[in-house]
Amino acid sequence: MKKVRLAPIYIALIVLAAISVVPFIWMLATSFKHGPDVYTKVPSLLPLDRKTGEWSPTLENYEYVFDLSGLGTAFVNSVWVCLILIPAKLLIDALAAYAFARIPFPGRDKLFILMLGGMMVPTITLLVPRVFVTQELGLFDSQWGLIVPNIASVLDIFLLRQFFMSLPGELEEAARIDGAGRMQIFWRIIVPLSKPVLSVVTITSFIFHWNDLVWPLVVLNDPEKYTLPLALQQLATAEAGRAYYIMAGAAVAVIPVIAVLLVFQRRILQGIAFSGLKG
Amino acid sequence: MSRKVAGAAAVIALLAGLTACGGGSDAGDAQTLTFWMYQPRTPQAGQIYEDLRKGFEKANNVKVKYVQIAKDDYNTKLSSAIASGTAPDAGVLDQPLVSRFALDKTIVAVPDGTITESAFYKGALDTNLSEGKLFGLPLDQTTVGLFYNKKLVPTPPKTWDELKQISTQVHQADSKIAGIVVPKGDGYGAWMWPGFVAGAGGEMTDDANKKVLFDQQPAVDTLQMWVDLLPSSPRQITDADNAFANGLAAMMVSGPWDVANIKDQFPDLDFNVAPLPYKTEPAGNIGGENGVVFSTSKNTALAWKFLQYITNDANNAKFADAFGGYPTNIKAAEQTAATIEPQQAAFLEQLKVAHARPAVPQWIQVNDEIIAPALEKALSGKATAQQALTEAADKTRSLLGWNS
Amino acid sequence: MASPVLADRPAATPDGPGRRRRPGFGRRDHLVGWLLITPALIYFVAFLLYPAIAALYYSFTDWNLRSAPNWVGLANYTDLLFDDVKYPHFWKSVQVSLIYTVIAVPLTLVAALGQALLINAIRRGSNLFRLLLFLPVVTAEAAVGAIWRWLYDPQYGLINAVLGWFGIPPQNWLNNPDLVIPALAFIAAWQCGISMIIYLAGLKGIPLSLREAAIIDGAGPVQRFRKVVLPMLRPTTFYLLVTGVIAALQVFGLVYVIFSAANKSVTGGPEQAGLTYVLHLYLFAFRYDAMGAACAMSFILLVFIMIITALQFKFVKQEAA
Repeated sequence: MKKVRLAPIYIALIVLAAISVVPFIWMLATSFKHGPDVYTKVPSLLPLDRKTGEWSPTLENYEYVFDLSGLGTAFVNSVWVCLILIPAKLLIDALAAYAFARIPFPGRDKLFILMLGGMMVPTITLLVPRVFVTQELGLFDSQWGLIVPNIASVLDIFLLRQFFMSLPGELEEAARIDGAGRMQIFWRIIVPLSKPVLSVVTITSFIFHWNDLVWPLVVLNDPEKYTLPLALQQLATAEAGRAYYIMAGAAVAVIPVIAVLLVFQRRILQGIAFSGLKG
Repeated sequence: MSRKVAGAAAVIALLAGLTACGGGSDAGDAQTLTFWMYQPRTPQAGQIYEDLRKGFEKANNVKVKYVQIAKDDYNTKLSSAIASGTAPDAGVLDQPLVSRFALDKTIVAVPDGTITESAFYKGALDTNLSEGKLFGLPLDQTTVGLFYNKKLVPTPPKTWDELKQISTQVHQADSKIAGIVVPKGDGYGAWMWPGFVAGAGGEMTDDANKKVLFDQQPAVDTLQMWVDLLPSSPRQITDADNAFANGLAAMMVSGPWDVANIKDQFPDLDFNVAPLPYKTEPAGNIGGENGVVFSTSKNTALAWKFLQYITNDANNAKFADAFGGYPTNIKAAEQTAATIEPQQAAFLEQLKVAHARPAVPQWIQVNDEIIAPALEKALSGKATAQQALTEAADKTRSLLGWNS
Repeated sequence: MASPVLADRPAATPDGPGRRRRPGFGRRDHLVGWLLITPALIYFVAFLLYPAIAALYYSFTDWNLRSAPNWVGLANYTDLLFDDVKYPHFWKSVQVSLIYTVIAVPLTLVAALGQALLINAIRRGSNLFRLLLFLPVVTAEAAVGAIWRWLYDPQYGLINAVLGWFGIPPQNWLNNPDLVIPALAFIAAWQCGISMIIYLAGLKGIPLSLREAAIIDGAGPVQRFRKVVLPMLRPTTFYLLVTGVIAALQVFGLVYVIFSAANKSVTGGPEQAGLTYVLHLYLFAFRYDAMGAACAMSFILLVFIMIITALQFKFVKQEAA
């Protein structure tokens, strides 16, 4: 009885999962095809020869995008920027959120509301003035220009603050009685208790910055410093009409993020669920 | 306690490190010339630029630094670099931007005696004019021609009537094949359109007398001709990726950049390129890039020397070829003509009769926001060609503040 | 990005009334507080507050990024709103963004809720399905654009091939002005993973006792959904609606990627059908030499977003029933 009722649910889920995943499979298939094999009347999810229908994959497209389009360099740049940016941002956001949640200094709440208001301004508005600030700091056209202007996030501070506020205060007081200072409490109590929300912030930050196109577009000039989305956008315009190269480039950009997702999936998905509203 | 200190120290060190480690790119010093250009299209093109650079460095005992940027992002980046005071010494500039940049003194006029004007194609040189003065040197030029699939179109059409006839025949013979990829009502289509208008004896504007002319008969006929091609060239077929190269469309209007693309990706396709079909006289549009010197440069003399170097008789053919266009220097073009592939000859021929875009600072906006939608309106059947163009011309007049 | 929590958690706040000065942390505690927020505060002033004030100033100027800004007072605002010669597509872009929002947001919410309900109904394999349905979220806009342009290809695209199995004639998705926005909205719904996860959390939070009570009352699955599940999910839906509308009104990256490389021109697709408000703003800032007007456009958008958000707070029910 139960099984019969579940069957349509599984069928629906399989269809939906297929809609989710097939574009990626098609991306991969196209990226392994020889140029002319891409244009077949009946689209093929496998790299097959257009005339004989035989299995005929190739790595040429990947070699091309890595060697010639600068995607290899861009990949290294993206990794480098994220490795510095994400931990630094996490630290700054968490410290600020801790102060906003727990330390009753004068003017705190007014300041917090001001910061939330700043969050409502569309980012596109801030683009050019931000370029000026970046320029004044001497960071224009450098990878630090990708890091410093993104070094904190009001949205993340907001999220972390909400979480810290919900932690029971007793532990903190007990630690205080044992003689712990603010920083000790932060590292020994707050951080270990906040792992789910910290991982949410880490992952969403990683996804956002790994994929960000607009800011690098205006701040970087030197192609040697390009990040992956920028290099991919460049590839997609330079090679317009060569879907196999573009799909190989897209695969290079997408696969690392999927890998991170697979590794951390439990933590991320539970974390995000946690940070949502309770029904 | 140590944790607390360490934490605070980490934050301070981080911030200090972040602000200290940056380094912007400034216009070069006296010995280094910074030159902005598009990203090379191919590794071979990149090598040509490198060889030219080394030749110049050796002869003048200086350094040249190329900054190579994707064509689509070039103008956005250049704008933010100029706004933030990091413009290069010299750079490549899309033709319609020259008059805009000249007007607000972002770039400097060509010093007298830098070049001999008669050494260049007139159409290409004219794209550097602003209020009668030259503000750049033409680096390369390009135009669009008629690509045709030899299997489907044995003899290319010379006139509009022949074009319509062949397109109809092709589509009638096989309804899965379109006659021609009709250009769209977008910025790109609006750039190609004036070449056809000139082929009917028309002009877009009369800059000197501040007149908008693209609502007159030649322009209306041109747009009508595009509309007439659509029944034999359905969008459903021609919007496919590489419709022409895949044999889905018998003809298309495109530039020399597609010759190499097609040869390399679709070796089986037997195709050639003919000059654009015309109504009353052969004509074409013109595109390409100019070399300009920015007013913030501390190296203007060296910058002009470099621009002279890449446009001279000996080097312009190499440079223009690497750029994907044709020489603007007449002597250099003769070298190119001698070695050119058959598919390329039509373009070079057509450049002799090419017409420069109106030298109006707002032209890009007129092109994108007024002409492109008007073309689309007529092509989609939402207005007649005459209605669409009358409305567009009126809007252009009010925008530019011209009376007629 | 991350999903912020709009409603404060009614949790233990140790610095509540009567505890303002807890013994032990001393007077230097204030200083520690300020010290901890200093880096974030520097960031806020340098990269949010100052740029916002600067942009507001530029919105009152005529500025092409190259020469000094020229004060014009309210002219940018009045011209944008009323001068359809200077800004012929301003209202068109407003319309495009509004239609996109009206289609994409509900589509995303329905897709997310549907997926969440299905996953919530099963046990075996629920982690796997959750993961697969989440995959599209993590993909870069540049890659999403490239992949979907290729999927939507009128001759070689997979979408038309699949529709063909059901006898639906091939469509010219990204080149038919009537289909551009639905095609874009479908991509948005494809990326509904974060909303789905949040809905799932909402579903898990519905007390079992409520459902059981409904079953005892003889309610069928449809009635249970309408009478119990949907009302209990109201806070979640409200949160997703508000943040979803804000994001949809600002959609830019995807359209930029889809229409720049595809058509060699960035003018927003066939008949400007894909010319969203922020794409239009971007063109004015960087293509048409009108940074002042672009800044004015962004403040018009800001005011609009604030009004829409306030209206939603006023007229949409947000408490669980």
